[in-house]
Amino acid sequence: MTEQMKVDLVLDLKGLLCPLPIVKLSQAIKDLPVGAIIEGIATDPGVMADVPAWAKASGQELISIEQRDKEYRFLIKKVK
Amino acid sequence: MADNGNVRKVYEILEKQLNQPLKTALEVCARCGICAEACHYYVSEPKVEHVPAYRAEQVRKIYRKKYNFFGKYIPSLVNAEELDEQKFNELVEMAFSECTLCRRCTFNCPLGVDTPLVMRVVRAMATASGKAPEILVMLADSAIAKGENPEIFKEMFIQQVSELEKELKELTGNPNAKIPVEKEGARVLYVGLAGAHTIIPPAIIFNEVGEDWTLSIYEAANYGVFLGDVERAKKIAKRIIDEAKRLKVQEVIVAECGHACNALVWEAPNWFAEKFPFRVRSIVELVAEYIQSGKLKVNPEANSEPVTYHDSCNLARAGGILKEPRLILQAVVKDFREMTPNGLENYCCGGGGGLVALPEYYEKRMRAGKPKAEQIRKTKAKIVAAACENCKLQLNDLNNYYNLGVEVKGLVDLVANAILYNRQKISANENQQANVST
Ligand code: SF4
Ligand code: SF4
Repeated sequence: MTEQMKVDLVLDLKGLLCPLPIVKLSQAIKDLPVGAIIEGIATDPGVMADVPAWAKASGQELISIEQRDKEYRFLIKKVK
Repeated sequence: MADNGNVRKVYEILEKQLNQPLKTALEVCARCGICAEACHYYVSEPKVEHVPAYRAEQVRKIYRKKYNFFGKYIPSLVNAEELDEQKFNELVEMAFSECTLCRRCTFNCPLGVDTPLVMRVVRAMATASGKAPEILVMLADSAIAKGENPEIFKEMFIQQVSELEKELKELTGNPNAKIPVEKEGARVLYVGLAGAHTIIPPAIIFNEVGEDWTLSIYEAANYGVFLGDVERAKKIAKRIIDEAKRLKVQEVIVAECGHACNALVWEAPNWFAEKFPFRVRSIVELVAEYIQSGKLKVNPEANSEPVTYHDSCNLARAGGILKEPRLILQAVVKDFREMTPNGLENYCCGGGGGLVALPEYYEKRMRAGKPKAEQIRKTKAKIVAAACENCKLQLNDLNNYYNLGVEVKGLVDLVANAILYNRQKISANENQQANVST
């Protein structure tokens, strides 16, 4: 999925523990235009629950979230 | 204030929260200044704005304007002030970035003036008028979204836990080790935080003692508390309370997290005006009980480096959890050194009150953490143990900022390490015996 989509910003969240991955994500999304796509790469499995909940609460679109080996990758589209 | 709606909201919150403890905090202060040295902000940077009594006085001024007879008609007589936009912004900045709600000032005040309660009310005012830090609001709302829509993450969470279970089996060498999720009828419901590091060490401990336990799908953190927003805080806590009732557990055990314990153990029964059909405790208390009762046998040789302990303000000053961490440390650490002062008098690390989640205040919290960094350095310890996630994040940042050369660990990390150490020793002995007999 990541390969087919133009990613506007890659967020390296590796090594960060809760709640810092979603803190960084919500900071980063502020500076992007509507329609922009962020790819996040984290190592804390907590993001698998936190990122979908963050997307729901903030009204942004979670395109995908998946585990690849020891990393967790997600794609978020800024919709507002 | 330019926006009258906001002024109204600010006074509405004040009116709503004006119970006896708050009235006392807003009316009593001998101006003795003893609280100054109690506050880590002042110790680090001795200026008047960092004196707790000064902070509370800024709120008292607007309180007098509305609630004091002279304040209303001759404000200059009692130092009363009208609230305006700029003053409110300053109050908000102060309440969120220059007070970690650590309560050290209250403990040291001869009159017990509750300045953090006053700061909490300013936080509540800020939240009601849309001026609270967005990040804290976002974190609280994400937690509420999880409670309202568990289907958005539950399946993934369970899948993650099964991966962690594999890791647990490998680590312990125990093929029967388990991390049950939402098991009905378990004795203990353990509520972790987002992240494996708060699940694996407790899982090692629970499996070692044969506890009948299960893992909550929610995290214990409660950012509603930092916002001074009881409605949000209640919604976040209710997810866990409902889960515990549904699973019919006997105990809810909260991860190493000071404010989460404060919320669930000490505040929630008041919020819901209810006696829950289960007990709620910190994992620190349960692990201390395992050790004291002999259920958990550990060896201090496992952690041979010098260790000091940082008392989380919430656990120590709000919860009185002072003996338990020390009992654990004496059991699992070879060289435990107290920092000075400690216990009830311990300095805040500077990361409390939600500050660690607010990147814009990084420099401020590093400066405010200087007394803590000095305390740590003086112990010459190699490991700093703490039983609070916020404290650990802050201590890690202080470690880098002040080059302390320490490692920050949870109490449960040290206990889990001691269990694994025992297991390794047992299997080494068994191998040796097997070699001798062949
Ligand atoms: S120690 Fe208490 S009474 Fe003295 S100035 Fe501080 S808050 Fe006021
Ligand atoms: S609660 Fe802590 S940070 Fe806040 S004024 Fe008192 S001593 Fe300072």
